[in-house]
Amino acid sequence: MRQLHGPRVDLGAILITTVLVGFALAVIVPLVLPFFFVFKTRLEYSYNPWSLPKAIRWDNFIQAWKSVQIGRGMLNTFIVCLGAIACTVPPAAMAGYIFARYRSRVTEVFFYIILAGYFVPIQMVLLPLYKMSVSFHMADTLPGLFLPMAAFGISFWTMIYRSFFRSLPGELAEASRIDGAGHPGTFFRIMLPLAGPATVLAVLLVFIGAWSDYLLSLIMINSQSHFTMQLRVAQFLNAYGVDNMPRYSAAAIISAAPTVILYTIGHRWVLKGTLAGALKG
Amino acid sequence: MADLVRAGVVLQRVRRRQNGDVGRVVFIALMLLPAIAALGVYMYYPIEQTFHLSFMRSAGLGEAAFNGLENYKFLFSNDEFRAGLLHVFLWAFWSVLIQLPLSFFVAFSLIAYRNKVTQPLRAIYFLANIMPSAITAMIGLFIFSNTNGVLAAFARKINWTWLGKVDFIGDPSLAFWAIFIVATWTYTGFPIVYLMARMEQIPMEIREAAELEGARGWRYAWHIILPMVAYPMRILAVLMTIGSLKLFDLPYLMTRGGPGDATKTLGIILYNQGFVNWQYGSAAAVGVVIFLCSLVFTIAQFSWQGKGDLE
Repeated sequence: MRQLHGPRVDLGAILITTVLVGFALAVIVPLVLPFFFVFKTRLEYSYNPWSLPKAIRWDNFIQAWKSVQIGRGMLNTFIVCLGAIACTVPPAAMAGYIFARYRSRVTEVFFYIILAGYFVPIQMVLLPLYKMSVSFHMADTLPGLFLPMAAFGISFWTMIYRSFFRSLPGELAEASRIDGAGHPGTFFRIMLPLAGPATVLAVLLVFIGAWSDYLLSLIMINSQSHFTMQLRVAQFLNAYGVDNMPRYSAAAIISAAPTVILYTIGHRWVLKGTLAGALKG
Repeated sequence: MADLVRAGVVLQRVRRRQNGDVGRVVFIALMLLPAIAALGVYMYYPIEQTFHLSFMRSAGLGEAAFNGLENYKFLFSNDEFRAGLLHVFLWAFWSVLIQLPLSFFVAFSLIAYRNKVTQPLRAIYFLANIMPSAITAMIGLFIFSNTNGVLAAFARKINWTWLGKVDFIGDPSLAFWAIFIVATWTYTGFPIVYLMARMEQIPMEIREAAELEGARGWRYAWHIILPMVAYPMRILAVLMTIGSLKLFDLPYLMTRGGPGDATKTLGIILYNQGFVNWQYGSAAAVGVVIFLCSLVFTIAQFSWQGKGDLE
């Protein structure tokens, strides 16, 4: 939107800008805190938590990596993220396309069944989910974690895809049909590539969501060798509390790095406005 | 002209073919199948199971016996559960009262006062939102902890002993608010980005017309923009309410629901009942309460008024 006010200096604008900068600082400063501590020894931290570190020490990173086996946790989490993406994005894209381009009374019913899923709290079904994964022999496995995770993400992304496909000109699909492409050809060769921005956003946010998941992992994963990153970090927090902040900061920085890097690369897709398609009815 | 007619004929033929087309039906069915199957297996069937379990006396994975409403009676006579219910509603109330207007304010300001300074801020507001809760909880403890916390250290530095003495995590009347502040910090990113996206879809003519009428600044926000995003705001209110019913990560990681029951939420109670005490029946009953509350809120919000103006 262009500026509402003219080029003249406007006190209101200055005030609002200052407030916005203040809020942004409030968001970002706590995230930077761990960097104050991470290069210090425990002793140095307890005497001078606020000073700049005397030297850049990487010990805490190395110790954190070893003591909580972050490497293993990271690998598990990557598998969970990829699984969640593979099981969330394609079903959502396909369903969203149907709801956008093949509307009928029957598909509308299915649309509302999927839409309603967005409002179902996963907490409600944790017990049956766990019992089911036991009977499917998927308890304490990574697929046992990412399959339900994906199922609970499909609703949201179906809505995003639906509204995205609706915003694409219908003539394109029609032209492709005239050229003799079948329904699948039209979807896979013409429409799906055009939905690129929605797909990038979905892959990005599903990855970040799966990476950050805590509750479902806590329920579904029991054995240390299958622990995800977040379980490791939380385990570490429980074991040491706030007493070993330097090392804990190292673990936190390692575990947050991939999402932050990904967000830094992809944030313009998040801000592009595709999210406006959520729940547009 | 002749080309146009021919194109029209072809188009009609295509459309006619679409109607009695078996391939079309098969295509629709196959395209919907993965999503429907996933939701059926992992959402709708487990919902049915939760209801079923909540009427059972059941511990562990063994056989269960029908128990009528005993689990519910147990819950509603249980202090912990009542505390959890209260916290959840308080949380929802304050979220809608504080986080929603805050999101509107930030989203509107970012759009209406776009300049060189505010433009790059957009990306920052979403940043805390993508942080794993294991980390945001840690940072929360970090700030509020009485022994090693940032606030306490800061208070000592400037000799505000009263502030240094305040135990935000250990004091039952403050722990809730400490967690709420952390939640506001980390959860407000999505509402801001969502509202911003919806505001940017408001047609230019409306904004320009408003400007010609002389509507500016906060009058403009109140009279023009707010009504246009009333529907997304209601959706966010629903989501915040459901979010409070689901609340688990932050209070669990920061306080384990303590001190006492001061920060117990329905999510924590469900987890403790189901996965610590192995009381499946009463845990399922908590799940049913969560579900019914979110159902009631969702339906109430959506039936309150029509669909919204942007659709």
